[in-house]
Amino acid sequence: MKDFMLIFISKSYQDMGLSPEEMQSRMGSWWQWNQKMEAKGIVKDGNPLHPNARRISGEKRTVTDVTSAELKEIVGGYYIISAKDIEEASQIAADYPDYDIGGTVEIREIIVYEG
Amino acid sequence: MHNQKIIDHLFRHQYGKMVAILTRLFGLSNLELIEDAVQDTFIKAMQLWRLKYPENPEAWLTHAAKNRAIDLLRKVKVSDERMTKVSYGPNIMAIDDLFLDHEIEDSQLRMIFTACHPSLKTQDQIAFALKTIAGFSDKEIAAALLLKGETVKKRLSRARKAIQAESIAFSIPMGEQLNTRLARVHEVLYLIFNEGFHSTRSDILIRKELCGEAMRLAGLLLKKEALRCGESYALYALFCFHASRLETRQTADGEIIDLKQQDRSQWYMPLIKLGNEAMNKAMDHEYISDYHLEAAIAAEHLNASSFEATNWEQILKYHYVLYDRNPTAYSAMNLAVVHLQLGQLKQAHFMLSQVQADKLEKRAYLYHGLYAEYHHLKGDNDAAVNAYLEALEKVSNQTERNYIEQKMQALLA
Repeated sequence: MKDFMLIFISKSYQDMGLSPEEMQSRMGSWWQWNQKMEAKGIVKDGNPLHPNARRISGEKRTVTDVTSAELKEIVGGYYIISAKDIEEASQIAADYPDYDIGGTVEIREIIVYEG
Repeated sequence: MHNQKIIDHLFRHQYGKMVAILTRLFGLSNLELIEDAVQDTFIKAMQLWRLKYPENPEAWLTHAAKNRAIDLLRKVKVSDERMTKVSYGPNIMAIDDLFLDHEIEDSQLRMIFTACHPSLKTQDQIAFALKTIAGFSDKEIAAALLLKGETVKKRLSRARKAIQAESIAFSIPMGEQLNTRLARVHEVLYLIFNEGFHSTRSDILIRKELCGEAMRLAGLLLKKEALRCGESYALYALFCFHASRLETRQTADGEIIDLKQQDRSQWYMPLIKLGNEAMNKAMDHEYISDYHLEAAIAAEHLNASSFEATNWEQILKYHYVLYDRNPTAYSAMNLAVVHLQLGQLKQAHFMLSQVQADKLEKRAYLYHGLYAEYHHLKGDNDAAVNAYLEALEKVSNQTERNYIEQKMQALLA
């Protein structure tokens, strides 16, 4: 088994104008997906992320605070899952609930130190 | 799997509650700030609950709203101008008290009365009520009312501007003002309900939601003693009676099933019971409003064990009272329908002749459909087919079109 990070990229929820009803049903889909993965013991870790970010860059360690409104897309959250290979990880990611609102899942295999 | 379920529409209903409570605290002038804050609370819930549901979702949301209120209070206090509003308002009450059930209801009622303030246009009142009280998004309002998104945005912004410009108080009016405003509240709820009940859109979900919201808010009126008048009870009864057969009016594919063909065993008894109770209370009041009459007509239909057993004579009487009070085109057409059922063709024709068809706009097809029925009963099928063709020319909705076509085909067969 290998570990993969599923990275969720989309506009921030704050900027989508979702209605309470839509949020409730979306929350339900996420919850079901999580339940499904938990039941199979796939999930190792995962969390949603706050939309606001601080970026530090350059040799001068320039600090910039960015709000989601300034960005087209943000990383909204991640899961770390275990799967046989990238194909199996893709199947798991197929249940990600936010494709319909322009969301993207990026799958990255985690490099394991083999000493 | 742990199969916990969140109550249907919890977020939507909680949205209206939170906005109302926070508005009580911070005033209508901060409405936009409040709506954003409440929206943020739900986004947080949506993201946290995906991993694990809280033990008591409603309490979680209330708690979050309370914290949000305290946050806001800190923010608002920074600004002196707002500070005065906060401290002189009727909101020195401890925050905790505002979260008691009856205070939440009171806040929601204040919001309903705000939405129905006379300085707002009717169409704007409906949009504003759906947004602020019922927690619909712009997109959902557009879908429910068959409007363009832009139109909804305009209506909402006009309503908000009117509220700011008139410095409308966040309160339930008293005395004579209460009667006028309450009548307006009834009317707006009635219109919202009708959007759901009479719309021929095939999407039963949206229709149920509109009817459900109107019913919920009408029920809220009855929780406050000052608002428990005959009209409030009659309106609630009317909603219950209509809603009890909402599901039997359409096939699974969204095709219309008329009253004659509806499966009466599927009419929802608990709602009929609720309606009957409300109707009894409505009759304790002396004044018989239009809502009384409309509810009485709906009740007659519900009481008939079959379409054939319908007491059309009684229904006719009620419709004539309505017509005498307000001889609108719809009222005349309703009378024509009943006369046709009674085989009274002359009277039906007379009523139809009272209607100015060119003023019916979107609903002109109903008029031609009635003429078709009239000609058919008279034995003149050619004229009937012609009238159906005219109805088809006027109808815009696909479901209605199919229905009329079916009726016409039956004549041609």
